[in-house]
Amino acid sequence: MTTTTAPPAPAGESTAPGGGRRTRAAARREGRAAWILALPFSLLFLAFTAWPVLQSLFMSITDTRSRDLRTPFAVDVTGFENYAKALSDPLFLQSMRNTAYFVLVGVPLTLTVALAAAVALDRGIHRLRSVFRLGFYTPVITSIVAVAVVWRFLLQTDAGLVNTVLGWVGIDGPNWLGDPTWSMPSLILMATWRNFGTGMIIFLAGLQAVPWHLHEAAAIDGASAWQRFRHITLPLMRPTILFVSVTTGIGYLQFFEEPFVMTNGGPLNSTISMSMYTYKQFGFGNYGYAAAISYIIFVLVAVVTAIQFRLLREER
Amino acid sequence: MRRRPTTALVIVATAALAVSACGRNESGAGAATTGTDVTSGQATGTITVWAMGAEGEKLPELAKDFEAQNPGAKVDVTAIPWDAAHDKFTTAITANSTPDAAMVGTTWMGEFAGLGALDPLPGNIDSAGFFPGAQETTKVGGTSYGIPWYVETRLVYYRTDLAKKAGYTEAPTTWEGLKEMAKAMQDKAGAKWGIGLQAGGTGSWQTVMPFAWGEGAALDADGRYSFDTPQLLKAVQYYQSFFTDGISDKAAPAQPTTEPDFVSGKVPMFISGPWMMSAVEKVGGEGFKDKYAVAKIPAGSAGSSSFVGGSDFVVFKNSKQRDTAWKFVQFLADPKTQAKWYGMSTDLPSVQSAWDDSALSGDDKLAVFGDQLTTAKAPPSFPTWEQVVASFDSELEKVTKTGADPAAALKTVQQQADSIGTGQ
Repeated sequence: MTTTTAPPAPAGESTAPGGGRRTRAAARREGRAAWILALPFSLLFLAFTAWPVLQSLFMSITDTRSRDLRTPFAVDVTGFENYAKALSDPLFLQSMRNTAYFVLVGVPLTLTVALAAAVALDRGIHRLRSVFRLGFYTPVITSIVAVAVVWRFLLQTDAGLVNTVLGWVGIDGPNWLGDPTWSMPSLILMATWRNFGTGMIIFLAGLQAVPWHLHEAAAIDGASAWQRFRHITLPLMRPTILFVSVTTGIGYLQFFEEPFVMTNGGPLNSTISMSMYTYKQFGFGNYGYAAAISYIIFVLVAVVTAIQFRLLREER
Repeated sequence: MRRRPTTALVIVATAALAVSACGRNESGAGAATTGTDVTSGQATGTITVWAMGAEGEKLPELAKDFEAQNPGAKVDVTAIPWDAAHDKFTTAITANSTPDAAMVGTTWMGEFAGLGALDPLPGNIDSAGFFPGAQETTKVGGTSYGIPWYVETRLVYYRTDLAKKAGYTEAPTTWEGLKEMAKAMQDKAGAKWGIGLQAGGTGSWQTVMPFAWGEGAALDADGRYSFDTPQLLKAVQYYQSFFTDGISDKAAPAQPTTEPDFVSGKVPMFISGPWMMSAVEKVGGEGFKDKYAVAKIPAGSAGSSSFVGGSDFVVFKNSKQRDTAWKFVQFLADPKTQAKWYGMSTDLPSVQSAWDDSALSGDDKLAVFGDQLTTAKAPPSFPTWEQVVASFDSELEKVTKTGADPAAALKTVQQQADSIGTGQ
């Protein structure tokens, strides 16, 4: 035992219980150890996450352009000018509308497909279950760029597989990626195909946690399969659905790779997303403006997530 | 005591340089400057060089010749993929970790020079032998920051066999003529589309500008952008008429299928650069070489012009081996090296005298490229050009696809260009 750990208690201070000091010292020691253990992460976090976040927040209220990075203190603080500019920038508003379209159609579609697939796998033929599970999940772990490139080939107007197959049944397929009416549906289709696997795996775990005896009891009472699904499975799955819809929603609000690889935002800016517009502005060297836009996206993601929590958390 | 004034002068000069280097307006606008002369004699030391795409892969081989001529020198070439190149350069410039010399896309010159990263061309490197339009791409604010390394320009490609059916033995030289020929390809030679023109979108300005330049348009009159001009309007109206008359496909797919469409005769004409020769011959197979020809862009009231692109070669200010780097650039600009490089890469030489080499002068199609290059023009080298032209491409797409009014579109582009500014 060393002097640092348990110094003898001076007389007249014996009001504290005998072990009090030692415990406090141990707690201090533990606290120090905790700080030392947390230090590497904290430093990395401060340097590579917290600092850039603060820096970009500052940048968003300046007129920083690429050439100012070498002389960072020469920039002019312009206050909320960048934010005001974004909200009156027709192309940014268009990108907001496009993103809203993508999220409002894409998230429910992905959730529905994921849930349907999970239910099918949960109730389906047991021998083939793992094969299907793997098959449905594979797109998720495939590189999005590879997926997008393959889909670009599939969706070609004349030579693409999709239109060739449609041609066999006498349908004249549309110009999927070249027609502004079809470009966004094409991207949503692809995103759904690629992403529903994640939700499916989580739903599958949720479904397997639904107690079987509740179904059995309801079946004895004469409830149909749909009634059991509607009144037993769905309510019990609520937390799972919340989780999947929030994560999918956040992902879709930031969608980027699909238009970047497949359409480059076109035709007629019909697929440019908020993230892609930010990326473009960074590419043009308008760092201050791009930082402001990314903060707008951040606020939107927070608001949408809060709304999702509201909608799905009630009636618990 | 004689030293004092000199010392004072040095201090003042250094301070002035330091101040001017730190200010916001270090873009090089104003008086033209030339770099210090390159020393004579052999090059020594190791230089690092960045190059993109196929050039990056083949350059080490060419650099061996330089090393053989200068036994004390070594060239380290880093090949960079094109899509990552722009980011890599801007990051390197910001972090002061640039290579000694590099190949740079012509439209990036304004931006990099604006960042104060490039060394001005030394006065004793001769720049008179290059194609004038290509030489212009190295200039920012009157100062030249490198040499044009290789060039490309756009021509009209057409199928000679189908043209014969349509009643043409050679390509027309006027705007009306070109349109009539494209129409005849549809009416008499069974083509689905008369001529393949890009319906707006990234890079489509490169096909419109040759027509505007043919009318004498200047995009950077009086040191500012000028899109809202009668010359450009005339070109955009003409371009639009191909789509409204059903001669060009306004719903062209996002991924163009130019080569197979050209070979099958579905689209027997298009406007593009020299790389398309090997591309269509590869798809067309044996003998296709004799089934098509290239022609100069039809002339407007100010003559025939086209877009000049390609890549420049620059030396960065931070280079510790500045003289060796410029000697390497000098070596690349040598007509003999350029002719050899054409053999290795099929990149067209930027030095006019290199075109006397039999490999180039003996080819009919290449001769047309060489001819067009003498009048081909480059876009303005303002640092914000890429951003401004993105809005032009976007407006042009509305003009071709939805039939939007060209005059209104150009007004919008002008407004956006004014609000973005030249960045200088």
